[in-house]
Amino acid sequence: MIRIALPVAAGLVLGGLVHILSIFALPQLAQNDAYARLSALGKTNEIVQVPDPTPFESLLPRLDPAFVFAACVFDLSRGPLALSVPTTPDLVSVAFYTRQGRVFYSLNDRAAARRSIDLQLMTAEQRALLPRDEDVTAADRLIIESPATLGIIFVRAFVREEGARANIRELLSKAKCGPLGAVR
Amino acid sequence: MRALFFIFALIIGSASGLGMTWVMSARDNGFGALDIGVWRSWPRSGTAEADPYARANFARSGELPLGFSEGVVFVATTDDRGRAIDGRCITRIKGKLLPARFWTLTVYDGRGRLIENPAARYAFTSTEVVFDAEGDVEVWLAPRAHSGNWLPTGENERITVVIRLYDMPTGVARSEAAQMPRVTREKCP
Repeated sequence: MIRIALPVAAGLVLGGLVHILSIFALPQLAQNDAYARLSALGKTNEIVQVPDPTPFESLLPRLDPAFVFAACVFDLSRGPLALSVPTTPDLVSVAFYTRQGRVFYSLNDRAAARRSIDLQLMTAEQRALLPRDEDVTAADRLIIESPATLGIIFVRAFVREEGARANIRELLSKAKCGPLGAVR
Repeated sequence: MRALFFIFALIIGSASGLGMTWVMSARDNGFGALDIGVWRSWPRSGTAEADPYARANFARSGELPLGFSEGVVFVATTDDRGRAIDGRCITRIKGKLLPARFWTLTVYDGRGRLIENPAARYAFTSTEVVFDAEGDVEVWLAPRAHSGNWLPTGENERITVVIRLYDMPTGVARSEAAQMPRVTREKCP
């Protein structure tokens, strides 16, 4: 009996270890995660329109059908990024994810000063390189520090009633994402 | 003999460990759940403090969780008596929701897909739903047309109802008085 019990016990201890390691490794290993799916829609550092979910197809699982979505898959390795998202008559929100899908920042249109949500995304190193005075004079600029070089910006715009969908999509198609300086 | 035991332990270890990971990463997102009635939420999933299980779950499914300042998601898969919500039955969702700037109520099948119907009606939003005299929301889930706020369920055996509360004041979900609608099965064929 003991001859069986020992390897079984050792196996289960090992199993616990394997479990913990694999749970932590999964976000790094996942092949078909949000980053991969959104990357397939278009270029990096550009806005892509995410198709509305239908019963037959949904680019990402469990998207809210009452919304219109756009995304910008970002790569900060060649410099900071600027994002400009027009506001709509209703709720617009922006969430920032690392490549592994962890949210590191989110905001909605109530944080927008004018008729668009304008912000800059950069790593801590890039922010440290910003000229000091510029940082002060640009106090109205919203700078978001990214903990990762690669990630996803995801834009969600509420559609009050189906008749407004085309209009909201049109507004979102004017969203811009690109290298800092190129987006105004 | 010793080598055999070693291999045996190795097989048990990798099978049980990876098996557990497989099961846990497919389930709804980990610990730290907040329950209000039959409605379950994971308020931390949209923050940097999301637990490893939630992250593994999102990575595997490809879902992007709502950010914390965007909104909070509540999911129901059972009625008030603990029975799975059955799309072949008539189910009533009635009551008040937590305060938010907007909310949406969406039905999905057991695999998380929207349910096909000729009217392409998958959800109600707070801006289009009809409230009753007491200010309650009353939504009917049924396979065939129903009076009032009706959402079609096809003939799916299992239904998942998702309420998303957008731009919610912080803290209200955790208060004692927090309430969400009741989910009752009214009639089954």
